[in-house]
Amino acid sequence: MLEVIYALWRRDMIKFLRDRRGLVTSLVRPFLWLVAFGFGLRPSVRLPVPGVDFVSFLVPGLATMTVLFSSMFAAISIVWEREFGFLKELLVAPTPRGAIVVAKLAAGSATATIEAGLMLALSPLLGARFSVVGAIASLPLLAVFGMAVNALGIVVAARMKSFEGFGSVVNFVIQPIFFLSGALYLTNGLPHALHAVVLLNPMFYVVDAMRGLCLGMNRFPIVLDVAVVLAAAIAFGMLARRAFNKMEV
Amino acid sequence: MTAVIEVEDLTKKYGEVEAVRGIGFSVGAGEIFGFLGPNGAGKTTTIKILCTLLQPTSGHARLAGLDVTTSPDDVRRRIGVIFQDPALDDRLTAEENLMLHAVAYRVPRPERAARIAEALRFVDLHERGRDLARTFSGGMKRRLEIARGLIHRPEILFLDEPTTGLDPQTRARTWEVLRALRRDFGTTLFLTTHYMDEAENCDRIAVIDHGKIVALDTPAALKQRVGKDLVTARSADPAALARLLSEKYGITSTPADDGLSFLVEEGDAFIVKLLTDDRPALAGISVRRPTLDDVFLSLTGRQIREEGAEGQFARLRAIARRRG
Repeated sequence: MLEVIYALWRRDMIKFLRDRRGLVTSLVRPFLWLVAFGFGLRPSVRLPVPGVDFVSFLVPGLATMTVLFSSMFAAISIVWEREFGFLKELLVAPTPRGAIVVAKLAAGSATATIEAGLMLALSPLLGARFSVVGAIASLPLLAVFGMAVNALGIVVAARMKSFEGFGSVVNFVIQPIFFLSGALYLTNGLPHALHAVVLLNPMFYVVDAMRGLCLGMNRFPIVLDVAVVLAAAIAFGMLARRAFNKMEV
Repeated sequence: MTAVIEVEDLTKKYGEVEAVRGIGFSVGAGEIFGFLGPNGAGKTTTIKILCTLLQPTSGHARLAGLDVTTSPDDVRRRIGVIFQDPALDDRLTAEENLMLHAVAYRVPRPERAARIAEALRFVDLHERGRDLARTFSGGMKRRLEIARGLIHRPEILFLDEPTTGLDPQTRARTWEVLRALRRDFGTTLFLTTHYMDEAENCDRIAVIDHGKIVALDTPAALKQRVGKDLVTARSADPAALARLLSEKYGITSTPADDGLSFLVEEGDAFIVKLLTDDRPALAGISVRRPTLDDVFLSLTGRQIREEGAEGQFARLRAIARRRG
């Protein structure tokens, strides 16, 4: 059973590592944000924490964003594999469907975390300064978040009949999660209603914990942040399992 | 011969539509058994039920004595399935595809490498094991899928339209491999097809139409059932020829290109008789033994068409374009 999960996980990893160009282009998005938004707004933004510059402040949010986009779009592989038939090969094998879902979540999350790790490793080149130990400690949390996002992606993908359908629905889901997570700003000053929405967003807690670990500026205890993210991953994981079971080939 | 596939009164409804309407048959060990019918006849639905991808609405199907609905995992271990559309991971190499399959079917670790090498050699792909499956031609992909079907040594191999979309040469080669499979491993083959010439390769054929089996026999016996040969005669005066046929022999003929055609027992002997008759001038005459096409026509009153399959290729091509 574990061996099957590992073999399926490895399969997605092999394909990810073979696609070097995909890896490079995945870094374009966060660095574009970092350059345009970070340097663009730096002169006009004053953070309440002394010694933290705006570019550094953006790093945890943009690393989390990298995981959000990458892990969500990794779920499209399910639409792909159903369309091209490979999924049938898996479903007709004596392999529990749960094992297939777990392997998918693990692979989607692992590839996303590698991309976020690369982004973190390269961001000091643009002058970002943060705790290296904190950044490394954030990686497991990013991985858990990656699973939650990938699970959400599977829930969408299981219902989709086409790539285009997946793309448009996912953008509809992904943009609010990103913009209402506080990845680009501090959430303290938000209007009440908006603030309430932000607090319902699991991504907010990832960003908060990461800011705590990397910059020492978290709002909630990191243990609480981690607990929320874990709970979201478990809940979405179960939904993904159910959606996958119901899916027709 | 012991039965390895037993199907009793199987039905499958999609909402109001009955795709499979109470079919029953059994397939013996080592048999090559074909399901012949047009697209939409219920072939793929039946194969999906037998290989545990679909639940039947009612009825029973047992493979190697195991019920497909109550013990799907045990059934899955014993069967191999080759789907209508390629089901390879084309971004992996041939060997990687086979290795994944070996793990999924719990082939003991020490045997894996040997079985993969053996399977690749069996389908003549041993020199391409390290190449990505996407670089393979259609025929090679199909052979790789057959190789994959062999890795876990299934008792029964299901093939849904195994040679649809392949060129004649590749089809012939695929059939060589399939026959060798039965010869060397004693594997039972269950296949669906809408190609008449492909059905000729089967030991027995079930002709399926509108979700029902309308005939089940050996290809020879099925053709025997039609009995008559098809004679086509070219003549400058087909009307006179038709009159002669109906008045003297009681044969109804139908107009054909440059003449007419008719069904008659022992066509070759009849031609000789006709030639010595007092008849209108003939420009040419031919006789053809009944084919499975004629069998299908006589059983259902229709010809097997292939539009469905082409539609499917159009769909795949459209996807490929989007992907590119």
